[in-house]
Amino acid sequence: MKSMNRRNAVRSLAAAGVSAALPMPALAQEAFKIGNLSPLSGPAAAFGIGINRGIELAAEDIGVFEVAGKRYKIEMVPYDTSLDPGKTVAALNRAVLNDNVRYGFILGAAVHGAVLPIIRQNGFFDIFMGAAGKEVTNAENPTVFRFMASSDQLYYTFTPDIYRKLNIKRVAFMGPNNDLGRSDVKVLKDIAAGLKGEGVEFVGEELVELTSKDFQAALLRLLAKKPDAIDTNASPTGTVGLIAKQARELGYKGYFISSTAVLEAKALVNVAGKGADGIIAYRIWSSSPSPLYDQIADRHLKKYKEPTLGTVWEAYAATRWVVEAIQKAGTFETRKVAEVLAQSTFASHPYGPATWGGEKTYGARRQIQTPLPASIIKDGNWTPLEVRMGKLD
Amino acid sequence: MRPVHQSPAPWLLVVLLALPFVASNYWLHVAIVVLMNITYTVALCAVLRMGYLSLGHAGFIALGAYTSVVCSVRFGLSPWFGMVAAAALCGVVAWGLGALTLRLRGIYFSLAVFAFGEIVVAIARAFDWLGGPSGIANVPRPSFFGIKLDTHFSFYWLAMALAVLLVTFFARLEQTRFGATLLTLKTEPGERLAESVGVNTAAHKAACFAMSCAAVGAMGAVHSMYLLFVNPQVFSFLMSTDLVIYAMIGGTTGFWGPVLGAGALTALGEQLFSVGYWKTLVYALILMGVILVVPGGLSAVSALWKREMTPRGGR
Amino acid sequence: MSLALFLQALSIGIVNGALYILTALGLTLIYGILHIVNFAHGELYMLGAMLVYLLFVAFEWPLWAAVPVIVLLSVLAGFAVERTIFRRLRGQWLQLLVATVGVSLIVQSVSWIAFGAQEKTVPSVLEGVLLLGTVRIPIERLAAAAIAMLLVALLYLVVYRTRTGLAMRAIEEDEETARMLGVDTDRVAGVSVALGFALAAMGGIFVAPIYSINPGMGLDAILMSFIIIIVGGLGSITGTVLAGFLIGIIQAIGSLALGAEAAHILVFVAMIAMLVFRPQGLMGRVR
Repeated sequence: MKSMNRRNAVRSLAAAGVSAALPMPALAQEAFKIGNLSPLSGPAAAFGIGINRGIELAAEDIGVFEVAGKRYKIEMVPYDTSLDPGKTVAALNRAVLNDNVRYGFILGAAVHGAVLPIIRQNGFFDIFMGAAGKEVTNAENPTVFRFMASSDQLYYTFTPDIYRKLNIKRVAFMGPNNDLGRSDVKVLKDIAAGLKGEGVEFVGEELVELTSKDFQAALLRLLAKKPDAIDTNASPTGTVGLIAKQARELGYKGYFISSTAVLEAKALVNVAGKGADGIIAYRIWSSSPSPLYDQIADRHLKKYKEPTLGTVWEAYAATRWVVEAIQKAGTFETRKVAEVLAQSTFASHPYGPATWGGEKTYGARRQIQTPLPASIIKDGNWTPLEVRMGKLD
Repeated sequence: MRPVHQSPAPWLLVVLLALPFVASNYWLHVAIVVLMNITYTVALCAVLRMGYLSLGHAGFIALGAYTSVVCSVRFGLSPWFGMVAAAALCGVVAWGLGALTLRLRGIYFSLAVFAFGEIVVAIARAFDWLGGPSGIANVPRPSFFGIKLDTHFSFYWLAMALAVLLVTFFARLEQTRFGATLLTLKTEPGERLAESVGVNTAAHKAACFAMSCAAVGAMGAVHSMYLLFVNPQVFSFLMSTDLVIYAMIGGTTGFWGPVLGAGALTALGEQLFSVGYWKTLVYALILMGVILVVPGGLSAVSALWKREMTPRGGR
Repeated sequence: MSLALFLQALSIGIVNGALYILTALGLTLIYGILHIVNFAHGELYMLGAMLVYLLFVAFEWPLWAAVPVIVLLSVLAGFAVERTIFRRLRGQWLQLLVATVGVSLIVQSVSWIAFGAQEKTVPSVLEGVLLLGTVRIPIERLAAAAIAMLLVALLYLVVYRTRTGLAMRAIEEDEETARMLGVDTDRVAGVSVALGFALAAMGGIFVAPIYSINPGMGLDAILMSFIIIIVGGLGSITGTVLAGFLIGIIQAIGSLALGAEAAHILVFVAMIAMLVFRPQGLMGRVR
C-alpha cells in the first residue's frame, strides 16, 4: 500500500512539474456546444442571424472558461429552421441525438408546440426567443427560459400607458393570419376591454397573408372604422413600412404600434418616406441604455459591416448569463443549471439590470425582466417615448 | 412498351429489417423520414406515369394527417382508426377531384390540384377546431398489442411496414394489366386508342389518382404521429415541389426510380442541414443536370449503360 | 359600404389589375406560342425589381440607363434559355416544366445568397397622391399602370402587325404546318421567350418603388399570374387583360366587403371554378 501511494505521489508530482514547465496546449479545451435553431434563410432570417452574431460576440468576450476543473470554449452550431415546425423538430432531433448539443436557442413560438415534448424528454436547455406566454414558459418546462419580453409583458404592462399618453381611444389591428397574428388580436381585444372605462375601444381587425405586400383594400376596410392607432404586431419590418405607406396614401393620420425589435428607422423611412412618422415600437432603444449596448453596436458594425440586428443584444446577454449559471452550478446538467439560473441576476445586460420573474403569471420563474423602451418615429428618427421595467409577477 | 422489370432486391429488405438494431436514434430518425418521402414519391410517380403531374400532393398528405389527428385528438378514437379514416377520406376526395379535373390535360390539372392543396391548408388555418394557424399538438402514438410506439426504435417498424406495403403495392400495380392500361393513357392518341377498345379511361385515371392519394393520406397520418403534431405549414406547396424533384431526379418508372430519388436526396438534405439556400441550390443543380443529361432520371442511367455496353450485331 | 368606399376600392382594383396584367403577359405569351409553362416567371419578375435596386440604388446609375440595361439582360437571358434548355427538351412537357422549376429554384437560391434576406427598397420616384373627388390614387401607381397599358398596346402591335408576330401566331396555330411553310420556328421561339422574359422583368421593374423587394417575391407574382391567365385563357392577350382587371377588382371589392382572407380564398375558388366549368378561360379557344 505504502509503496503504491508513494509511486502515485511521485507520478503526480512529476506530472505537475511537467505541466508547470510546459505552456498549456491550446487543444486542452473541450467544446461547449450552443445550438441555434432559428430561421437562417427566408424572410425571418434577420432574427436567426442576429442570434448567431450575439453568440459569437459573447464567445469572444467569454473566451475559455472553466467548469468543474475542465476548460471549455463555446462552439456555435447553427440549424436553419426557416421558422417551420417540421424543420425545427428535425433540427432538434439532429442536435440532441446526433450532435450532442444540450443547450440552444430556439426561435419562434409557433414551432414550440412541436418541440416541447422533445425538450421535456431530453432535458434540453431551451433559450426561447419568441413572445407568446404561458404556453411555452410554465412549470412543466423547467429548462425553457424566455430571454426576451413576452407578449403579456409588452401588452399588459406597457400598452395602456402608451394609449393614455397619446390619447389613443380607437384601436385596430392589422397583421398576418398566422398564430402570432391571431393571438395578438385576442390580447389586444382583452386590453381594450380592460380599458373600456377610459373610453378605449377595439374597432376592427384585418388579417392578411404573411407575404402580402398590398394592403390597400384591407386598410380601406379598417380605416372606415376611424382608428386612432393601428397595431401592426407580428408583421416584419418591410410589412410595417408598407402598411404605413399605403395607409398614409389613403389619408390615415394616426399612429402605428409594433413590438418587434428589428424595425430600423432607416428601413421604415425608405419604404414609407414621411409616412413613417408616427410609428411606435416597443423594444427599440432610441437612446442607448448602457455602455455595453454601444460597445456591442460598434463591434457589430465593424465585424459585420451593417447595423446591429435586433436579436443580437438579447442573444449576447443570454449566452453570457447561461455560461455564468453553468459555472456557478459547477455542472452542465441542464435541470440543475436551470434552477441556478432562475435564482440569479445579471447586472450587465445591455438593456440594464436583468432578473427573472413570472411565477404568478406563468407558474414558473422563467421570464426575463429587463428595462423595456418604447420609441416613436419623428422626422424620420426614433425618439424616446417611454422606458419602464418589464416587470411581470 | 412494357417497363423493364426491376425487382426490389431482397438485400434491401434485409437492410431495412436489420437497421433498427444497429443504427443510432438519429439515423433511425433519418430512416423514418426517408421511408415517408419514398412512399410519397412512389405514389406521386403512379400518377405521373399516366401523364399527369400533381402539384398538390402535399395537400392530400395534409388531409390525411389532419383527418387522423382530428379522429384521435378531437374524437378520442384509436390512431389506427385514424390512419384508415385518413386513407379512406383521401381516396374518396381524390376520386371526386379526379372526376372533375382529370379530363383537363397538362398544366390545367396540375394547377387545379395545386389550388385544392392550398384550399385544404387555408381551411385548416381558418378554423380553431382544426387547430388554426398553430395546429394541433400532443398527437397520440398508436399501440401495437399493448406496446406504445413512442420510441424511435418502435416507431420505425410502423413507418417501415407501411412504406414497404405501399411501395410494393405500386410496384406490383405497374406490372398488372391495369398498370399497363394507365401507361397508354399518357398521351392523347393513346387515350383515344384505349377508349376505342372499350376501356373506361376516366374511371382508370380516377382510380389511379384515388389510390395514390389514399396512400399518401395514410402515410400522412403516420407522419403526423411521428411529429406528434400537425400544423398548416408542415405540408406546404414546397413539399409538393420537393416530391416532384425527387421523382424527376430518380426517375419515374419502376421501383428504383422514386426510391433512389427520394432516398438519396432526403439523406443528402439532412446532411446539408445548416445551409438553407445552399440545399435548394444543390438540389436544383442536380435536377437540371439530370434533366438535361438523362431525362429519364438516375434510375435510367443503368438501363442506358447496359444498352451502351451490349455488343450490337452486324458491325 | 358607402359609395366613396366602393369607388376607392374600384380604383384600387383597376390600378392593381393593370399591374397584374403587366406581370402576367410574359407567362401567357410563352405558353401561348410554345406551350411551355415557364415556372421561372416569378424569378424574372423578382430579378427585374432586384436589379433596379442594385443598379439604381446600390450603384447609383440613373434610371434611364438602368431600366434599358435590365430589359436587355432579360432579353439575352430569354434567348439563352430557349437555345440551351427549351430547344433541347422540345416535346417533353414534363421535363420542360420541371426544368423551369429547376431554373426558378436556382435563381431564387442564388438571389437569397447574393442579396441576403433583408428587404430592399427603391425610393419612390413620383411622390404624391392624385385626388379625384373622394378617390385617392398614388401617382407612382398610376404611372406604373399607365406604362403597363402602353406595353400591352405595344405587344398587340408586335403580335398583330409585324411579320414576327404573324409567325408567332402561325406557330401557335399549328407548328408543323408553319415550319413546312418556311417559318423559322427556332428563331421565332427565341424571340417569343426573349419577349416573355422581358415582359416579366418589366413587371418587376415598374413595381420596384411601390413595394419592398426580397428574393422570395416571385412566388406571389407567379401565383397571381397563373390565376389570371387561367381565368383569361392560356395564350390569349385579350383574355389576360380582361382577367387582370376582373381579378383585381374582385380582390379589392371582396376585401372591402368580406375581409382580406376571404377575398384570397375567393380568388382561388374563381380559378378552380374556371378550370372546372370553362377550362379554356374567358377568351381561350377550345382545343
